[in-house]
Amino acid sequence: MKIAITGIGTVSAIGINSAETLESLLAERSGIGEMRILGSRHADLPVGEVAYSNEQLKAMAGVSAGEAMPRTSLLGLIAAREAITMSHGVCDAFINGTTVGGMDLTEQHWTDYAQGKATENIRLHEAGESTKVIARYLEQPFQFIATPSTACSSALNAIMLGANMLRTGQAKRVLAGGAESLSKFHLNGFNTLMILDHEPCRPFDANRHGLNLGEGAGYLVIESEEEAKARGAHILGYISGYANTCDAFHQTASSEDGEGAYLAMEGALQMAGLNASEIDYVNAHGTATPNNDMSESAALRRVFGEKMPSVSSTKAFTGHTTSASGGLEAAICVLAMQKSFVPANLHWTQTAEGLIVPSARTEHKQLRHILCNAFGFGGNESSLIISAEGSELSMAERLLAKRAYVIEQTDDADIQSYVSAGESRRMTLQTRRMVAAARRAMSESGVEHPDAIVCATQWGCMLQSMRYLQDMLESDEEQLKPTPFIQSTHNTIASQIAILTNNHHYNSTYSQGKQSVSCAIADIEMQMSLGLINNALVLEFDELVEAWDAVLSLIGDRTQAIAKATVYIKNN
Amino acid sequence: MEQLIEQLKSQIIEALNFEEMTPADIDSEAPLFGEGLGLDSIDALELIMLMDREYGIKLADPKAGKQIFASVRTMAEYIEANRTK
Repeated sequence: MKIAITGIGTVSAIGINSAETLESLLAERSGIGEMRILGSRHADLPVGEVAYSNEQLKAMAGVSAGEAMPRTSLLGLIAAREAITMSHGVCDAFINGTTVGGMDLTEQHWTDYAQGKATENIRLHEAGESTKVIARYLEQPFQFIATPSTACSSALNAIMLGANMLRTGQAKRVLAGGAESLSKFHLNGFNTLMILDHEPCRPFDANRHGLNLGEGAGYLVIESEEEAKARGAHILGYISGYANTCDAFHQTASSEDGEGAYLAMEGALQMAGLNASEIDYVNAHGTATPNNDMSESAALRRVFGEKMPSVSSTKAFTGHTTSASGGLEAAICVLAMQKSFVPANLHWTQTAEGLIVPSARTEHKQLRHILCNAFGFGGNESSLIISAEGSELSMAERLLAKRAYVIEQTDDADIQSYVSAGESRRMTLQTRRMVAAARRAMSESGVEHPDAIVCATQWGCMLQSMRYLQDMLESDEEQLKPTPFIQSTHNTIASQIAILTNNHHYNSTYSQGKQSVSCAIADIEMQMSLGLINNALVLEFDELVEAWDAVLSLIGDRTQAIAKATVYIKNN
Repeated sequence: MEQLIEQLKSQIIEALNFEEMTPADIDSEAPLFGEGLGLDSIDALELIMLMDREYGIKLADPKAGKQIFASVRTMAEYIEANRTK
């Protein structure tokens, strides 16, 4: 089948819809500027804020002023509506990547929560809940909802899952992408990593000093070409290939040779049946950190050699919209293809050894195939190819995977035989249990190097998140330790296990409440059916954190600790 | 200086979660990164934060840490020369 794109929706610092976004791109007008809405004490940091308050966004989205809604969901709702309206189609699946979820509400109201006041917003903390809130307002007959949370590659992974759903007949029309608002939590986190520039960011420039955070949302509506043509829908482009890999190098740094990024781009080309020379434009991850741009340049050189296509990072327009970036930038690629232009890589003036030379100004030319990159913490790397003419992708009926081996880590005595003191130095106890369970499951099942590692977690890495949140609130955003932040993202567990076992294969994480495990299993079963993988390691992780458990008990819920590893194999 | 070095070793062990180590296990002259303790970029950020919190030293450029953190002794010398508390 060919996968057609029939709708896009974008919200970011350069526009509240796709028309505004296109206008800003063509006018080379950046949305990065002074912080006006977030209210962090680090107001000296430039950001790519969406120019409207929550109240204004609610009015636009038709949400009543009194309803508590994470800003992530508000941004997502506006962009999702645009995509559905443009496609004129009814969607039966919604896949929304996010990591921040409702953290903006939690950081505002934590003190009230802890004191047992204002309990109505507590549940909105969960990443999956912020997706469900959007879904409720969209009034579509969604049969399937999932929230991939692989940090900055979340939205591209959402689109890939959506494509696999179409190819396995699990959905007819999918709304997929991601949303992420700014939060003090991750602004401070990136600040402790010392990778935020105090000036507008300069991707791929010799004098780049880091990234600017942004916020926004971006979605695609995708369906089979056959379906789109049958209903006379306007086809904006096609998804012709995609791949998800793991750099398996470091929790926050990319490898020098860009191995994970290289594998993701190669994998996407291979699925699309394209030669590297057929790519006309690469929308790079290009965050403007010294490390990312050097590593991504190395990977681009390995893929394209001397025949480098036009490359630009649009993050100098929007800031780094983290989990939303893959969706937003995929939608920007569709606009670029429609209007035949390469968006400018703003603020670039000077190259340095090892760096690729981006398109500093807008180039007007026809684009037949565009490669879009999104890379995340933990080395979660994803590449997507958008084409003017689609590639024929295989189809299959969804098979059930066979559960080959299950380990639930209950006895702490043997953790040390699976996790060395050096490896576990930064891990919480529950993470150590998880790593031990994973290693046992892999070695005892004989699947030492699974084709996919997928984690399911309701709350994510809550111990480090709570530690970081409380430190941030108590210290008034000063002198924060980087380690808890680095380990706070939902994808910490799956990527950590890939790093420890040098596994470059598919790596993903789902946070969808109690349905997280069924999302993970749906993912691997579809990939098995399509012949993309033969086996997979599924991790179930949650940790018991007293402060959070106490807050949850106020709304009649509790957290349950779990560290369970299951090896699945293809059921032939 | 020797007293500062000993204090610093304890602070490093705590900040970087070397649970099974004592100050006596750290050689004051040995490299902290690469060989020696084998620290990485996250540890460098933790050490920058440690200097801010304990000694009132703010480093704006993480790259500057490379020379300062060559060994516990070089770190102690830098702190002695630049501390504000």
